[in-house]
Amino acid sequence: MLKYQIFYEAVNTYEVPLREAVWQFIILPEDNDTQKLRFFQFSNSENIPYDQSVDGFLNSTIKLVTKKALREITFTAHMDVEKKEINPFQNIKNSTPGQDFKMIDDLVFKVDHEKFLFPTALTSIPQQFQKLFVFDRKETIFSNLCHLNQWSFEYFTFKTEVTTTESSITEILDQRKGVCQDFTHVFCGLARLNGVPARYVSGYLHQNNTMVGDLQMHAWVECYIPGTGWVGFDPTNNLLAATHHIKVTHGRDYQDCAPLKGVIYLTGSGNNKTEYTVRVKEVKEFKERTQQEYRAEDFAEVKRDLENRFSNPSYLKWQQQQQQQ
Amino acid sequence: MNVSEHPIFSCYQQHSEFFDEIFEEDGNVKEVYKKLFEIYSGHTVEDFASLNNNAKSSFFNQGITFQVYGDQEIKEKIFPFDLFPRIIDSSEWDHIEKGVLQRSKALNHFLHDVYHDKKIIKDGIVPIELINSSANYLSQMNGLEPPGGIYNHISGTDLIKHSDGKYYVLEDNIRCPSGVSYVICNRTALKKALFGVFDAYKTFTVTDYAQNLLEIMQTVKPEGVDQPNCVVITPGIYNSAYYEHSYLAKAMGVELVEGRDLYVEKDKVYMQSINGAQRVHVIYRRIDDQFIDPMEFKPDSTLGVPGLFSAYAKGNVTLVNAPGTGVADDKAIYTYMPDIIKYYLNEEPILNNVHTYHCSRPDELKYVLNNIDKLVIKPVDEAGGYGISIGNRLTKDEIEEVKKTIAASPRKYIAQPIMSLSVHATYIEESNSFEPRHVDLRTYTILGKDKDFVLKGGLTRVALQKGNLIVNSSQGGGSKDTWVLKS
Amino acid sequence: MLARVANNLFWMGRYIERSEHIARFLNVNYFSSLDAPTTESQSRQRVLRSSLFMTNTVTTSVDHLLDEQEVLFNIALNIDEPYSIINAVRNARENANSARDVLSTEFYEALNKFYHAVLRYDPNHFKVKGLFEFTTLVTESTAILREKIRGTLFHDEVYAIIMLGISVERAIQVSHIIQTKYTDALESTPNDELFERSYEWITLLKCIESHDMMRRFYKKTPDSSNVLEFLVLHPDCPRSIMNSINRLNKHILSLSMEKLPSKNSTAYLVGKTQAHMAYLSIETIEEDIQGHLTQIRETLYTIASSIEKEYFLYN
Repeated sequence: MLKYQIFYEAVNTYEVPLREAVWQFIILPEDNDTQKLRFFQFSNSENIPYDQSVDGFLNSTIKLVTKKALREITFTAHMDVEKKEINPFQNIKNSTPGQDFKMIDDLVFKVDHEKFLFPTALTSIPQQFQKLFVFDRKETIFSNLCHLNQWSFEYFTFKTEVTTTESSITEILDQRKGVCQDFTHVFCGLARLNGVPARYVSGYLHQNNTMVGDLQMHAWVECYIPGTGWVGFDPTNNLLAATHHIKVTHGRDYQDCAPLKGVIYLTGSGNNKTEYTVRVKEVKEFKERTQQEYRAEDFAEVKRDLENRFSNPSYLKWQQQQQQQ
Repeated sequence: MNVSEHPIFSCYQQHSEFFDEIFEEDGNVKEVYKKLFEIYSGHTVEDFASLNNNAKSSFFNQGITFQVYGDQEIKEKIFPFDLFPRIIDSSEWDHIEKGVLQRSKALNHFLHDVYHDKKIIKDGIVPIELINSSANYLSQMNGLEPPGGIYNHISGTDLIKHSDGKYYVLEDNIRCPSGVSYVICNRTALKKALFGVFDAYKTFTVTDYAQNLLEIMQTVKPEGVDQPNCVVITPGIYNSAYYEHSYLAKAMGVELVEGRDLYVEKDKVYMQSINGAQRVHVIYRRIDDQFIDPMEFKPDSTLGVPGLFSAYAKGNVTLVNAPGTGVADDKAIYTYMPDIIKYYLNEEPILNNVHTYHCSRPDELKYVLNNIDKLVIKPVDEAGGYGISIGNRLTKDEIEEVKKTIAASPRKYIAQPIMSLSVHATYIEESNSFEPRHVDLRTYTILGKDKDFVLKGGLTRVALQKGNLIVNSSQGGGSKDTWVLKS
Repeated sequence: MLARVANNLFWMGRYIERSEHIARFLNVNYFSSLDAPTTESQSRQRVLRSSLFMTNTVTTSVDHLLDEQEVLFNIALNIDEPYSIINAVRNARENANSARDVLSTEFYEALNKFYHAVLRYDPNHFKVKGLFEFTTLVTESTAILREKIRGTLFHDEVYAIIMLGISVERAIQVSHIIQTKYTDALESTPNDELFERSYEWITLLKCIESHDMMRRFYKKTPDSSNVLEFLVLHPDCPRSIMNSINRLNKHILSLSMEKLPSKNSTAYLVGKTQAHMAYLSIETIEEDIQGHLTQIRETLYTIASSIEKEYFLYN
């Protein structure tokens, strides 16, 4: 059993003061067979109280509302997660290509998995790219997906600040550069095009020296393999999702699981931006700590992260589209 | 009694190709209209001109108007009201009422199925693509149980009478069907103008709509609520249907709110009153799905309420109609209605459907492209009569243009044979007399938990321009009072 | 009731009342000057200056020659002037539209008819010969509206809020008119004695439609002292400031849930003002007329904004 301490921070700044704002976070790791959320603490620089709720896809959310005339607010979360050590290959059941494709061609299967079988705006592969990767019906679906994982990894170069959350899939496929979201959207689109249910997964990545994914939150894919169930693929690293992947939620695409959504009414016209910091640290033991101790530690970490952000050029900064009036 | 004998009918030209609601083919007045015709024949041309003007200014003064968005400015217009009522006798109405209720119930079953087990798709009756590629399909609604089990609380069914004398359904409107306030206004206006005519007929009232709507909204209150607080939500005073929103709120005696009056806290909805926050339980929303909650749907919508959908998903508030109903009033789904009725209700459809060609099917697309002059081409997802082409009205160049448009995105279009709408005597200002004009009929059906209601009457819309088949108010249509006779 | 709708109702009441006072002032001020006993009171330029001052508190220099048609048009029908009557009527109807579901059909229809009549009024006709006709249309229509409010709406919080708007606006407009005519009286008379007996006091009474009432009550020629006493302090004069404050108090108490209004609440502020005014005497006012008029006006502004803050806050 591995133990991870996760630190999440979002600093929102507004050019003109807020009139009203509603924020929604989807950042808490889910509980499932391989992971368990042991502790979380969520706070903000204005001490605005929060509600725990669910969104339309039943993702567990944290919601805050304020009418304070703020120019800046910082949200901080600490999470302790236990993760089982897993070998994803062990779980794959043996099957034949014939069995596999018969199953996914079945109408009832398609209807049951319609949610993750049909393209959304962000995962709809344009005509001219649809032949980029075609499944080989002489191989099993698992093997096809492994090839797709490899293909995605080779087709794209990981590069930050080339794409944004607003980039279209055509731009992404044309540029062949992007971040984990882009790898994931393309993977989902191609898998779905070939009849395999694929869902976008949002979560945290514990980075050791060999893995990329320094976008603040990581993204990967889960595909439904007949006979086996949902299996995670990380096309950004050409790996199967395993011990280092801490899942928050899944959806049809980024839109369904955006970690932070805000509906913002400003008192005038002006820009706003958000800067994120995320850190995943493996520990031997979770500390038994009082609330005060947590806060003290938070403060130290925030400071360290601020320093990190300036020394590490790969930290991304981007603006999230938000409503203005 | 014959059509040509009266000065106010001097311009009435009968066409054998259309079904005439008032006159037999030999020019004699139909039995049910005889008394009305007698009374009207006693009026002079001048009488009608002045009655018509009075009715118009009464609508204008009462502010029963809608906004027309022109190139430059927004104009306030009345929805023209016609002095000659449409009469539907009791046996004919029975047939319509049973038919529209059957359709609404079938659609409710269909919606529940689409957002749960999807049996009708698994059984191969409705293609999965129609659901998934519909812009109105809301994935978020999957697995949600709407309070009282109702999705399409309010349905507006558009019917016409074809030249064969039979009613056909043209559309089911189950998002936010509008127009019911005009039904009531038309009745009030006709009573004021020609009160004498009501002595000659026993007609059902139409003023009980709001009361029934309120009672039905109360049947679908969230669980655990005793006395539900119901409200109507409007996009605001600049919306073209604002009069109707305010009428309904007032007639039900409930608050008319805008998005900015509401807020969500701990997944419960509140409105800001002069005495602080008040909980809201049932919302009759006249805002489209995409705008109801910027957190969940269109992020730049300022009309909705952030967090409203979560409150709905938790069962703390009822939305009337439920989000996602639009998937079933798609024009492509319409063509499957006979199958949908049989599938869920195990009944034969009472009302006819117009035969439809799906441009998404290659063989049917081919037929459509070769026969555009005989067809009406409709976009699948446009409301309000926009984007419709009527084949026999197009020039050769226009036909080529339409062909190109369809071929570019066949999924977006369906085609139907040109149905000939029946005609009805309609007062025409230019000629100061009654002339035949095309009419249709929109009925209003309300479904609640163990309770339903069909408004006995409806909106008879009339195309005022000669020969025009489109009867929508935004396209220069008017309307008539519609009488359902007691047996 | 919704806070937003309450705000709409309050402002609807204010705009209806405002249109009436501006129209009546324009009418009376103009027509009574035609046969005024002194040349000063007959001066058309002074009448126009005074009308502009009343509607918009703009002080126009005596040297600036005003164009009669332009001034009359600006005050009555110019859509580009925020203080014009046509804009008050438009705003009243706009507010009514947003609160339409709580208003009676009869009232809304009357307001809508009024709105269309004003909107359709031909500006060219108005400038040359429509002044009397137009201002009468406005004063008569607003009288109809007030009766429709009283007679066709349930006397609950909807009614109370409209009446708050009407009462506060009436008091404010009356205070504007008093200030304007006080200034006119000062300007048109060379000394104190003539000031006290100025013809402008009679015009002032007429502008507030209280001339006959005042005559019956005092049976004396109007002068600065009895006119001010009547219009500021007499509770039975339906247009006096005191009368409006009494009505304000009545309606605010029907809205407020508190038997003992808490300090800083609107009910407290109105009650305190009412008590102060009830025991204010004309002798005290006359010690410093200008100072008292200013203070009364400031208090009324404070009450109006306090109502808004306490009851109408929404997103």
